[in-house]
Parts: sequence; C-alpha cells; structure tokens
Amino acid sequence: MDVLRDQNWVLSVGTFLPLVGVLVMLFIPKADEELSKLVALVTAVATLGVGVYTLTQFDFDQADKLQFFADAEWIKVISSNYTIGLDGMSLPLYFLSMVVTVLVMIYSWNHIPSPGNPKAFLILMLILQTGMAGTFIAQDLILFFVFFEVVLLPMYFMIGVWGGEQRQYASLKFFLYTMFGSALMLVAFIALFFKVRGALPEGVEASFSIPQLAEYGGLLGRSAQIWIFGGMFVGFAVKVPMFPFHTWLPDAHTQAPTQGSVILAAILLKLGTYGFVRIAIPILPEAAKEWAPWIGLLSVIGIIYGALGCLAQTDMKRLIAFSSVAHMGFVMLGISTLTPMGFNAAIFGMVAHGLITGMLFFLAGSVKERYHTLEIARLGGLLKQMPKLGWILGFCAMASLGLPGLAGFWGEFPAILSAYSPAVGLPEETFRTFMVIAALGTVFAAAYLLWLFQRTAFGEPKPEFAGNDHGHGHGAHGDDAHDDDLHDVNIFEWIAWTPFLIAIVVFGVYPQLMFKVIDPAVQVALKAFGG
Amino acid sequence: MLAAEATEEILASTGWFLENAWVIPIVPAVAFVLIIFFGKKMPMKGSEFGVASMLASLVLAVGAAWQWIQRVDGVSHAAHSVAEEGAKHGAPFVAPIIREWTWWQSGGFEFGIGQHIDGLALTLLVVVAFISSLVQIYSLEYLRGDRRYTHFFAALTLFSAGMLCMVLAPNMVQLILGWEIMGLCSFMLIGHWWEEEANSRAALKAFFTVRVGDMGLLIGTGILFFSANSWTQEHLGVSGFNISGLSAWAMSGAASQSALTWGAVALFVACIGKSGQFPLHTWLPDAMAGPTPVSSLLHSSTMVVAGVFLVGRLYPVFWEGMKIGDTNINFIVLIGGITIVIAALLAFVQHDIKKVLAYSTVSQLGYMMLGLGAGAWLPAIFHIFTHAFFKACLFLAAGSVSHSGSHHSFDMKKDMGGLAKKMPVTATTWIISTLALAGVFPLAGFFSKDEIIDNVGHNGYNAFMIVGLSGAFLTAAYMTRATYLTFFGEARGAAAGEHHDEHDAHAAHDDHDAHVGHDTHAGHGAHDDHGDHGDHGPHESPKLITIPLVILAALALVAGLANATPFGSNWERFKKYVEPSSEYVVAESAMASGPGESIVLPAAEEGAKKEGCAVVDPEEGKVCYFPTVSHAKFKWSKAALSLLIVAVGLVSSWLFCVQYYTRRNRRLVGLTERNVVLRGGYKVLWNKYYLDALYEKVIVRAVAYPISRAAYWFNQNVLDGIVNAAGKISRRVAGWVYRNIDQRVVDGAVNGSGAAARGTGGALRPVQSGKVNQYGALLFAAAAIGALILVIINT
Amino acid sequence: MLSSILAQVPWQSPTIDYHAIAPEIVLAGGICLIILVDLFTSESRKWITATLTGFVMLGALLPVLTLAVSDADVRSMFDGRYVVDEFSLTLKALFLVAGYVVVLMSQNHVEEGDYYQGEYYTLLLTSVTGMVMMASSRDLVSIFVALEFLSIPAYMLAAWRKRDRKSNEAGVKYYLLGVFASAVMLYGMSLLYGVTGSTLLSEIGSKLTVEGQFGGVEALAITFVIVGFAFKVSAVPFHSWAPDTYEGAPTPVTAFLSVASKAAGFVALVTLIYVGFPQAQDVWQPFIWVMAAVTMTVGNLLALRQTNIVRMLAYSSISQGGFILMPLAVAGTGDAAGPALQAVIVYLLVYAAMNLGMFAVVIAASRTTRSGEISSFGGLFSYAPALGVLMTIFLASLAGIPPLGGWIAKFSAFRAVLEAGNGWAYAIAVIGAVNSVVAFGYYGNIMREVWMKPAPNGETTAVRTPSSLVAALSITVVGTLMFGILPGTIMRFGDLVDLTGAFGG
Repeated sequence: MDVLRDQNWVLSVGTFLPLVGVLVMLFIPKADEELSKLVALVTAVATLGVGVYTLTQFDFDQADKLQFFADAEWIKVISSNYTIGLDGMSLPLYFLSMVVTVLVMIYSWNHIPSPGNPKAFLILMLILQTGMAGTFIAQDLILFFVFFEVVLLPMYFMIGVWGGEQRQYASLKFFLYTMFGSALMLVAFIALFFKVRGALPEGVEASFSIPQLAEYGGLLGRSAQIWIFGGMFVGFAVKVPMFPFHTWLPDAHTQAPTQGSVILAAILLKLGTYGFVRIAIPILPEAAKEWAPWIGLLSVIGIIYGALGCLAQTDMKRLIAFSSVAHMGFVMLGISTLTPMGFNAAIFGMVAHGLITGMLFFLAGSVKERYHTLEIARLGGLLKQMPKLGWILGFCAMASLGLPGLAGFWGEFPAILSAYSPAVGLPEETFRTFMVIAALGTVFAAAYLLWLFQRTAFGEPKPEFAGNDHGHGHGAHGDDAHDDDLHDVNIFEWIAWTPFLIAIVVFGVYPQLMFKVIDPAVQVALKAFGG
Repeated sequence: MLAAEATEEILASTGWFLENAWVIPIVPAVAFVLIIFFGKKMPMKGSEFGVASMLASLVLAVGAAWQWIQRVDGVSHAAHSVAEEGAKHGAPFVAPIIREWTWWQSGGFEFGIGQHIDGLALTLLVVVAFISSLVQIYSLEYLRGDRRYTHFFAALTLFSAGMLCMVLAPNMVQLILGWEIMGLCSFMLIGHWWEEEANSRAALKAFFTVRVGDMGLLIGTGILFFSANSWTQEHLGVSGFNISGLSAWAMSGAASQSALTWGAVALFVACIGKSGQFPLHTWLPDAMAGPTPVSSLLHSSTMVVAGVFLVGRLYPVFWEGMKIGDTNINFIVLIGGITIVIAALLAFVQHDIKKVLAYSTVSQLGYMMLGLGAGAWLPAIFHIFTHAFFKACLFLAAGSVSHSGSHHSFDMKKDMGGLAKKMPVTATTWIISTLALAGVFPLAGFFSKDEIIDNVGHNGYNAFMIVGLSGAFLTAAYMTRATYLTFFGEARGAAAGEHHDEHDAHAAHDDHDAHVGHDTHAGHGAHDDHGDHGDHGPHESPKLITIPLVILAALALVAGLANATPFGSNWERFKKYVEPSSEYVVAESAMASGPGESIVLPAAEEGAKKEGCAVVDPEEGKVCYFPTVSHAKFKWSKAALSLLIVAVGLVSSWLFCVQYYTRRNRRLVGLTERNVVLRGGYKVLWNKYYLDALYEKVIVRAVAYPISRAAYWFNQNVLDGIVNAAGKISRRVAGWVYRNIDQRVVDGAVNGSGAAARGTGGALRPVQSGKVNQYGALLFAAAAIGALILVIINT
Repeated sequence: MLSSILAQVPWQSPTIDYHAIAPEIVLAGGICLIILVDLFTSESRKWITATLTGFVMLGALLPVLTLAVSDADVRSMFDGRYVVDEFSLTLKALFLVAGYVVVLMSQNHVEEGDYYQGEYYTLLLTSVTGMVMMASSRDLVSIFVALEFLSIPAYMLAAWRKRDRKSNEAGVKYYLLGVFASAVMLYGMSLLYGVTGSTLLSEIGSKLTVEGQFGGVEALAITFVIVGFAFKVSAVPFHSWAPDTYEGAPTPVTAFLSVASKAAGFVALVTLIYVGFPQAQDVWQPFIWVMAAVTMTVGNLLALRQTNIVRMLAYSSISQGGFILMPLAVAGTGDAAGPALQAVIVYLLVYAAMNLGMFAVVIAASRTTRSGEISSFGGLFSYAPALGVLMTIFLASLAGIPPLGGWIAKFSAFRAVLEAGNGWAYAIAVIGAVNSVVAFGYYGNIMREVWMKPAPNGETTAVRTPSSLVAALSITVVGTLMFGILPGTIMRFGDLVDLTGAFGG
C-alpha cells in the first residue's frame, strides 16, 4: 500500500495531547475547580487546534491513501506495531471526536453533574478523548484494540459516578456488555493473524497491520473467514449497538450525565460501525458477503424495533436513546449493502447521527436541568416558556427524522437507496424488502420525533411549571422551586451548541463536503467487492 | 467538444431570465434567513423581507416566462419556415433549459442541483410566486399583531422557497428536497397556534400522513434511479435521478416494464399523500386549523398540487408505467375518480366554511389526477393554473369573512348568513370564484375542468367521464350551499353582531400581555388588538385584504382564456407554450457537469419533425421526452351537456337551500332523521367514511400503544431479561457452589467431625473442624481420579 | 530417598561455578547475617532487620544481572541438575524483586503488629532462596529440595499472627495440605525414577520417549507429580487451602504466597513439562486443559460471592492461575511450545506486579478502614483519591483492560493458545474469553465501592501511607503501566532462543 508519511507526528500529538493535560491536572488541588476546568478546556482546545491543523494539512485529493502515516516498533515479539494513519474514512470521525470533546468541555463549564468534582470528571473526559481519537487512527489491530478498550473505564466511571439513579446498574451493564464483545473480538483478531500468517506468500512478514491484512485477508478459506468475522461481529455489534445487543444502550444513555450521553452518542457508538467499515469487511470480504444479509436483517429489525421502543417511552432521554438504535440501524443497513454508496451513506450517517443525537441529548440535559424531570407527560409548552430551546428541539427533531437540507437526510436517504441494488452476490430481493422496511422506518421516525415535539414543546405549560411563565406573574409564587430554573438557552449552551447546529445545516445543504472526503477511501475499502 | 459548442449556441439563444431561473428560489431562501435573524428587529417585524422576496421572484418568474414564450415563438417560426405544413405535425421541439451543478457524489454516482425550465415549470413558478405574493400581502393585515407574526412570515417564505425549488428541480433529489421542505413548513404553519392541542395534532397529522406517502417517493426514486441510471448515463450522460433522463428512458422502450410500473406506483403513492387523494386525504381538512392565508396558499393552490406536478413532471414514467395510452382504467384514474366523488359528498355535510373549501380542493385535485391518469395532460396542468386563482380567492374570501364578518368563526351555520350586504366586495369575489369553480362559461374553471372531462372521455375512459360530470354537478351544488349559508339567508350568530361572551373575557385578558394561548378560536390568534376596530359587528375588510381578493377574482374571471379551446387553436396558448412536444430528437450526451459548469439537455436540431413518440419506439440515437397525447376536438354539444349539468346543480341546490335553511320546509328539515337510507348516508358522511377512525383509532393507536408496548416489553423482559438473568444465575450458581461444595465438601463429614470436634478447643480446633480432612480427601481423590482417567486414556 | 540418589552415581566432588550460584550464596549469607543482627539489636531497633533484608534481596539481584549480561548464556552444573540460563535468571530476578516488594510491604505491618521481626525476615529470605533455587533445578531431587525449602518457611509465615486463631488455622491447613501434596508428588517422583532409572529431568525426558506408547505407570507418575505442583499453584480442585490460608495469614505474607510461591510452583511445572515430559503431552495436556478450564471458571464464580477482599483476591488469584495454565494446556501441540512458555513467563511477571500492587493498596487502605470487608472501601476515592486511582489501576489490570499490564498477559496467553489452533485450543480460548469478562464482575464491584459508594461510617480522614508502602506501590504501579504500554520490554524476557533447548544444558 502506498501511504503519505510526511508530518507523521501530527496524529500522535493530536491523540496524546489530552494525556499531557491529564498529567498537569493531576497536580491541581481538587479544590481549585476553576483551574481544573480551565486547564482541561485549554487542553481540549489545543487538541482541536492540532485537529484543525491536521485538517488543513490533509491532502484531500489523495483521501484514499493513509496520510500522516507513522509506523514504529511497538511489540516486536507479537509483530504488532504502532501503526497510525488517517484517510478519508477516519478523518471526519477523528475530527468530530475532537470537536465534540471541546464543546462538551464548554458545556461542562457550568454543568458539572453531581457529585461535582470537576477535576476527576474532566480528567476522565480527556482520557476518553485520547481513546476515541486513537481508535480512529490506529492501523494495527492490536493498537486498535487497545484504544478501543481505553474508552471503557472512563465512560464506566462517568456513568457510574455522575449518572442518574440506577447509574451503577447501567454502568456495569455497559461495561460487561462491551467487554464481552471485545473479548471475543480479540480472540478473532488473533485467530485472523495466525490464519493470515499461514496464508502469506513467501517473504512477506506477518503483522497485525490493517492494510496488510486487508491485502491478504482474502486468501483465507471461506469457513475460517466466517468464523473470524463472527467474532468481530459480536465485538462491533455490541458497540454499535445492533439489535439484539442493544439493551445496554438505553440504560447507559438514560443514566449517563448529559456530557456522557453526548459523547456516547456522538463518538462511542461509532467505534463499532467504524470497526465494520475499517476492519471486518475489508479484511474478510467472503465472510462479509455471507453475513451481509443477516446484518441487513438485524439492521432493519433495529430500525423498526428502535422506533417502536421510542413510541413506548415516557421519558424524553430514554426515547432519544432508543432513537439511536433506529438510526444506527440505517447506518448498518448502508454498510450491509457492501456498496460504496451504502458505505458513504453509513459514514455520513455516523457523523450526522453524532451531531444530531448528541445535540438532542444536550437538549434533554438542559430540559432536565430546568424542569428537574424528563417525564414527557409532565412537560409541555416548552415553546412558550423558553422559545429558543423549543425551536432548537424542533430543529433537531426535524434533522433527526431525516429532513432534506439537514444532515440527517444524507445518512438516511442514500442508505435506503443503496439497499435497492446491493453489491454483486447479495440477494437483491431480500435487500429490496429491507429497503421498503427501512423506508417505513423513516415514517416511524417522523412519528416518534414529532410526537415528542408536540407533547413537550407545543401546548400550554403544565400547571406545576406554568406558575413562573417568565414575563407576567399570575399570583405570587416566590416559593416555587423552579422559579430561577426556567431561563432560556444560556451563553455556555449557545457556545456549545451553535457549532452543532451550524454543522447540521452546512452538511445538510452541501453534503459534498464530506462525501468527497469519504468516497475515495471507501472505494479502496471495497475494492474486494469490485466497488 | 461538439457538446460544448452546442451548449454555447443554445445558451446564446436563451435569455438571461431563463438561464438564471435557479435564482428564483434562492431569493426567498435568503429572505427566510434574514427574517430568522433580523426579522424581529425590523419595523414590520420581518414581513417586508417576505413580501419583497416574493415580489422579486415573481418578477424573475414572469421574466423567464416571457423569454420562454419568445423562445417557443422563435423555434416554431423557424419550424414553419422549414416546412409549411409544420403545424399539423404538432408543435416543434423546444429544448428545456437545464443547468445542473454537482451537488454531491457518492459511490461513483453524481447528484446535481440546478434548474429544469420548461413550460410546466414556468407555469408553476409564476403561479406560486404570484399567489405567494398576494397571500403575504393579505397576511400583513390578517395576522397583524399575531404573537408569532415573524415566525409566520419566515415559514411562509421558506415554504415558497421550497416549492419553487421543487418546481424547477432538474432531478429527483432536488425535487425531494423541496418536497420535504414544503412538508416542514406545512407542519409549522398548520401548528402556528400550537397552544391549542387541536392545532398541534392537526399539524402532526398532516406531516405524518404525508410522510407515509413519502415512503413511496423514496422507494420510487430508488427503483427508477437504479433501473434507469446505466441507460441515462450511456445515452444522455446524466444520472438516473435526472428528470429529463428518466423521461427519455421511460419513452425509449428500453426500460423494463416492471421497474416502470413499480416506480410509477410508488411515486404515485407519494402524490396521494401530498395531494390529498383518497385514501390519504384526511389530513387536508384538518389542516384548516392553520391560519386562513396558509390554507389558501399551501392547502389549496400550491403545495397540494405538488403531487399533481410530480405526475405531470415525470409524465412519461407514469404514461408507460400505468399504460395510460392503451387502457380504459388505471391506478391514477381510479384514485382520481374516487377522490372527486367522495370529497364532493363530504363537502355537503360541513359546517365549517373552510372545511367545505378543503374538501372541494381535494375533489378538484381529484380532477387533476383524473386528467393526468386519462392522458389529458394539458387540461390537468391548466386546471392547476386556473384552480390556483379561484380557490385561493375563495379561501381568502372565507378568511375575510371570519376576519371582519363572523368574528373569527368559520361556522357557517352558527355565525354567518346574510353577509352579502355587509361585505359586498368579499361576497362578489366569492361568488365569481364559486362560479369559476363550478365551471360556468366563460369563467376560468370551465375551460380547464370541461377540457379534462372532455378528454377523459375522448381517451376512452368513458366511465370516468361520467364520474367527472357527476363531480361537476356536486361541485356546483355544495358551493351553492356554502354560498347561500354564508352570504344569504338571515344573519346568525356573530354575523348578526352577537358576541361570544367567553371571548370578551379574553379580550380583557389579552390587553395586559401579548399572549393569547387561551383563545378558543384558532383564527382568533390573529387578534390581539381588538381595540383597533371598536365594534365587532360585520363589516367589509380593509384594503390589504380586499385588493388581493379582487385581483384573484379578476383572474378567476379571465384566466380561462389562456387556453380557450372553444375559440380555436389560436387561443390555445397554453397548449402551445406549456405542452412539451412529442418529437424524436437526437440525443447528444452532454458530459456530467463538474462543479460550476452547466449542461444543457438535449442538444437537438430544433423543430425537427418525426413520427410521434410512444407510438413507435425511437430508433437508435433518438430520444423523446414526452408521449404523444391526443386532444379532444372541442364540441359545443358536449360542452352544453356539462354546462347544463352545472346549471342544474346550481339551481337545484339554491332552491333546496332556500327551502331548507330559510323557509324551514317541513318536508325537508329533519329528513335525515326520518329516512333510514339518508340517515345512514348522512352518518357515514358525517364520520368521513370512518377513515379517520380507522387511521387514528385503529392503526395509529395499535402501533402507538399495544405494538410498541409489546416491543418494549420484549426488550425489557426478554432481551434484557436474558442479560440480567445470566448475571443473576451466575451469581446464584457461584453462591451455591461456594456454600455447598467449596465450603463443605461432604456435609456428613462436616457435621460428624464438627460434632466430634466440639469440646476440644484451642488453636487446633479449626484443623479438626473437619475441613482439613475434607480438603485432604478432596486432594487425594482428585489426584487419584485424574490419574485413573489419564491412565485409562493412555493405555 | 537421598540415599537412593547417591547410589545412582559414584561420588566425586562436582565443579562449582560460583558466579552462577552467587545469588544463592548472597541469600544464604544474608540469612545468617540477619539472624545475627536480630540477636544483637534491641527491640526498638528491629526495623534494621527489615532494611537489611531488603538490601540482601537487592544484593542477590546484582549477580543475577551480571550473569544476565555475561556472555555464556547457559551455565550448567552437577551434570545438568542445576542450570543457570536466561529462563532461570528472569525468574530469579522476579522472585527477588517480588521478595523486595514484600519486604517493603511488611515493614510497618510487622512492626505495628509487633510480631517477631528478625525471624519473619529470616524465613522470608529462606523461602525466597528456595524459589531462586527452584528456578535452576533440573533434577527431581533438587526440585523437591527447593520446593520444601520454599514451602516450609511459608507454612510458618502463614501462621505468623500467632495470637490470631484464623492465622493459626491458616498455617496449619497450609502445612498439612502441603504435606499431603508433597507426599503425592514424591510418590509420583519415585515412580518416575522407577520407570526411567534417573532423576535428571532431561534423561527422564529422553527415557520416557523411547517407546511412544505410555504405560499406566508413567501416566500415573506424571499425573501425581503434576498434582503436587497443581497444589502449589492452587489449581482447582487442589485450591481449597488457598482462601482460608490467604485470609488467615498476615496480608504481606498472603501477597507473598499468592505471587512468589505460586510463581515458583509454575516454574517447577514448566520445567517438568518442558524438560521432563516434553513428549508425554498426551498425558499432561488433557489434564492441564481440564485444570485450566475448571480453575479459571470456578475461581471466577467463587470470587463473585466474596465479601472479604483478601478472600476475593484469593479466588481471583486462583482464576488467574487458570489463565497461566491455559497456554500450558496446548504447550505440546504444534509450534505452540515457544509462545506458551513465553506466555507463562510474561503472565508471571505481569501478575506479580499487579497482584503485589493490589495487596499493597489493600494494606495501605486498611490502615484507615481497619477491615477486610469490601464494603469498607466505600468512597475510598473521595477521601484518598491516590489510593483509589491506584486500586483502580491494579484492578483494571487484573481484569485485563488495556493499556494496563494485565491485558498483555492475557493477550499473550490467548495468542499462544490460538497458535496451536486446534479445536481444544479454540474451546479453551473461548472459555478464557468469557471468564475474562466474568472476572470484571468482582473487580468492577470493588471499583464501584471505591468510586460510587459513600464511605460506610463517614470515616473520611485522609490516609497516611508510610514511605515503604509508597515505594512498594510505586514499583508495582510503574511495572503495571510499563508492561501494559510498552509490552515490548517484558515480552523480550519471554523471548528466549529455542526455549526447550535452553533447558537441560
């Protein structure tokens, strides 16, 4: 494989800079919260700066090649190296992870969930950032695995310490689920390594390097491929999460603090889908063909099922969580077609979902903060009490249900489209059925999102909150607990949210911005399918 | 680089307006952004942006239309000079002005954005821009003081942008874009007064029902794209989304029939949803919950015709897919026919004047579909044109009535009657439009509707001609009823100057803050400033309202002349300028455009004449973009028949109303109670054929409650259950093993030795407590067993 | 039985490579020194013995290093009965460092518990000496001597808290069962000798393979020998002593047992398998396979139920033992031998670091909590963040979460197993994978206490950690992290040239 090796320090810096911040923060007294926040924010911003630099230096005309490619000896004896690189497929997600972290940091400035202790909270967040960024640049299976796992503990604690009532159950569930997946995944990786090593031509030294494996993975026998793919499938499917491995998600999302939910939705879920497009499918084309219909099936089940789950919810945040299941269903459907169009749609969908659902979780957090409840039945008249918040919610709902002109659409529509003609060798009728079901899913999406919007934003505020409708005070209610809470979007929220909103619109209006980056890389990833 | 030269040459022959028609939707889009960000700060709360932008795009549209006319004239003149007898070979081919820029590309497919300008597009452009302008002006007054005045104009403007964007879409993706944006705006505008749950429910219902249809749009687009793409790429160098590409492909005879049929059906489902056709029409009447200007713009004259437009736009696909040319019944016609009648019937039992108009709209849309389905393309499109004027006028008139006549009530029976004297202008315009709608010669409706019916019959769909005629009768009848109830007879309720007491309470309440959430009438939101006109009695509306009415009424009067078939072919301007020619033309493939560069399709030697399309498949290298549709020869005899029917409808209905509502004729009043048949019929109509019940009570409720609950239950108790169970069980097992095996290997031994050990104390007690014995026993036993097994294995 | 061995060969005085046995000599000298010092120091200055012991350990480490760098990579004495090669050096180093850390951990513990200090350290040193010998022994006799040499002091140490009945129970149980095990093993050894007529492992190896087919006797012999060491490494079903003993013994001693003496057991096991019965895999592979599977599973399940942290760690160390056994279960198949040995060594090194660290944290934390109950660690993070984080690190490492040491250990184990690549291998790999998840159940449980629960009795005075403990903690945590992030460093130790050849001289 030919790669661009110039400035190969960029990625390492971008990935490990947060850890420097962590080191600094270790020496900050716990009491000095402002300083902790400041240092953390500065670190995140600096990291983002590196990310922006990466963006500027990225050669978009060669988005199909790995750039900033670095390859250093790491664990020689098991022939695993510190191999990193960035191509069109990983760039958007890599960059997104940095942006999201910064924005979440800003949001955290005055939204540290109880029991406080911003120092620990932010340190975890920075570690998380390293793990996420690392996963997207790793070009070596073992390295990928390490980063893939690094995100676990911080998120575990983030949910478990700063989460809601059932945080401990949720966090443990999240952890065990993911770990179960990744354990099998690791076994699969190693098995893959040995099988490929057995099949390598003379003079080629075996390694865990993803490009190399992608080059020779095709040499494996079909059954071997299928088994190995199975192992990876579990690992990634849990992370995505795909039906029926999704049950950790609603709990984790619901219990996690706002920041946790946002990061979870925006980035962590993408690790799974990214694993599919980067590792499982390119390396094991035969198996991918075998598995694709089943993946497709699970995806569409997920789409409908997630939607139904949403309709059954009475809690706003849980509803959004379930909607993630549905949306990732679209992403996986795109992937399962094994066509470039589907892959593009999928990756676009990942980013779009990251932006939109992340935003929705922000909103849920803010609503919770103001009303101290997310019971849909108790909410209402949001538009009346805090119009801006309400309209942003409406905007995100529209984006999330795939309104053309907003980012969500470009993940959904091409994915559905691509299902009409999947890659050669896949059963067309089956996938066309999936297409119809998926299209039905869009209707459901409209249903639950608008229903949510109607019930929370429209109508009159419920009496318990209506008391302090800003502006005019019917009767004295100074004793009202919510009195001071019912303010509209505040400055930190504006700063944290505006980039999301802008991105949603920009990518919606000019999707080419991302497609042009993704497309070449996807073509490479799918060359085994004549894509 | 022949293509390029051809491009140059053709571009040269077109005017600036035509080339840059794509600016038309941009203008309101920009205005929308301006309103959102600066609207509140502007002196007129942002409405000026809206109005200005609409007027601007109107100018642009008209300019483009004018240049198009020039172009067509030029071409046909050239054609005539080529061959004298050109005329009888149908119109010469005039290339539409297509410009496409790469919007995004994915997986080797290119998706463009740009413009596709031809007669059809221009017609809609002008209509939309025109009606939008008038409605916005009207709204300046109608919504004055509304608490979301700015939002209203923002949404209205965004809608126009979306509609215009859809109308000049050169490919399906852009069309979908506009299509959905309209849906969004419809949602926002219907729910404009969302404090009331009824409104927000209506908004939800509208969006959701349309969305159901949109499934078809996505699927159909997908089917057509993948079936057509390779052909279009090869022959025309455009993607399978490209509308002209799709048309050519459909006509080429190379297309697979099944793909065509399924694609057409799927797309038509979308049209059913958008254009309120049976059985998805139920959202449209509810949509009347929105402010009246919205009803008149979105839900009568423009947005709802999007479905019709789509069919007209991709006509070849439907033509081939539905075999319109050689059947006497097909999906479209069927739906159209049913819609005409059932909607018309429903209009009879409405009390709400806007609902009457809504059902009338549904039924008129049925006419358009009927026309398209029966091959009467031109009359159908022409009906869009005329219908837009008089239906918009009717709605605005209704709004005017409620605004100044019936005190924000739309209930004809309760709050209206005898308003003709109080509101002469409104009444006049209303009556003109009513007659136009009924299809009275020589008003607009006659020329379009009658043509539809005529051609439907002419193309062999005789059964549906009957339907059309009966529809005409019904239309005449229910409109007369509405007219009578509103403007004649004795004044009732608010029209008689009575006040709603509950309203006064609010009037008082409204004074101290600008929120009107408690209002019981949707329309009432418009009125925070009752102070302005002291008495609430009926009176004529102010200028800003009446002027649009007058303009529209005037058009309702004369618009028909744009294609007055009775007066000979020279009057058939619409046909000349709008109907695409069904000529074979050389398909020169223009390269798919990179960003910024534009393509023009097709580069044809203009005015060439061959055999008509769809009669025989084009030979190699030739394509055509439109089927040969035959036109009925106008006969006064046929026209007389339908006019007679209309007259009967008007008169009989009038007499009935006089008897029933004013004279309270014993024999008529309460007939529906006495006569079983009538009662039954009335009940069915009153319950809207129970369709809503089916949708809301059965389907939606089923999905929203039992099914989703079930799914969720499955999630919590089965899937999650498994996980938790796994955890619990492993802990249980662990506990059991720990207690019963690990800690006391052999119960007996424990008890026995435990008993034995009692008494002896001190340091050694634990040793004798039996555990060690057991451990030892275990150790030896395990060793022995292990050894035994291995020995057996290995020997 | 010594007589029988003496009868084996006519006596001639062997040539001794003093450099090779320098570590042992240093230790022996140290033992005497400490006894003397202990005699002549007043009660108040006994802490000197601790420091001295530490120095002795490090002192013994020096020759190990010099040997490591010296050119002759295999030094064999007593015609191959006592061999110093990379393998043995690596493990000697491990034992010595572990011993040193244990000393550090013991210092305050023993002081404050006012136990006999001099004797304590003497015994510790003795036991370590035994281990160091074990690493080099290549003869049934020397192995057995080394084994007893390291065990007997351990028995006493286990019972060190002599006023505490639990401790006595622990010691006595450990002792008795240890004796049983030795008995079984001796029986096996005698059979081996009877069959092969030699106690030299390499000879036994060659003799055993003369005819490919085994008789029942050989099988019996091999099994019994293995059982003996299975007891040392507390593999199920020979683990039953571990929990009681661990709980009863003083915590530093527990740490010592669970790490050092376990490691010693594995060393012997590896030596036997690789040198003694390389060709007999049909016998020991299934046996070890079953033991590995059962051990890790049962160990995990039982650990789930524990409320006392030391007991929990006991079971966890049992299941970890299962993981160490895992690669051995396939050591005989294909070219898995090399990776398997490597995996074992790597695992031992990492395991030593993280488990000692874990115990160190427990000791440090219990200084305030004053209890071994897991629930008593509630809210540790809130009032002693450093300890909380350290505990998290060690736990996570034990659970095998990257980028901490534990994962590379597990990884290399899996790798070795999959290298064999047959059905059995995959089966146990999957079992191992599942277990590594289950394991988090109880490790995570402690983390939960530490991070998410409030302090039980509002006891939130910051913990004062004595410097020696700090030293122990820092050594172990650095080890854990370094192993995890730069696994190359230790993997190299495991990367021995043609391992089976490296034995036997």
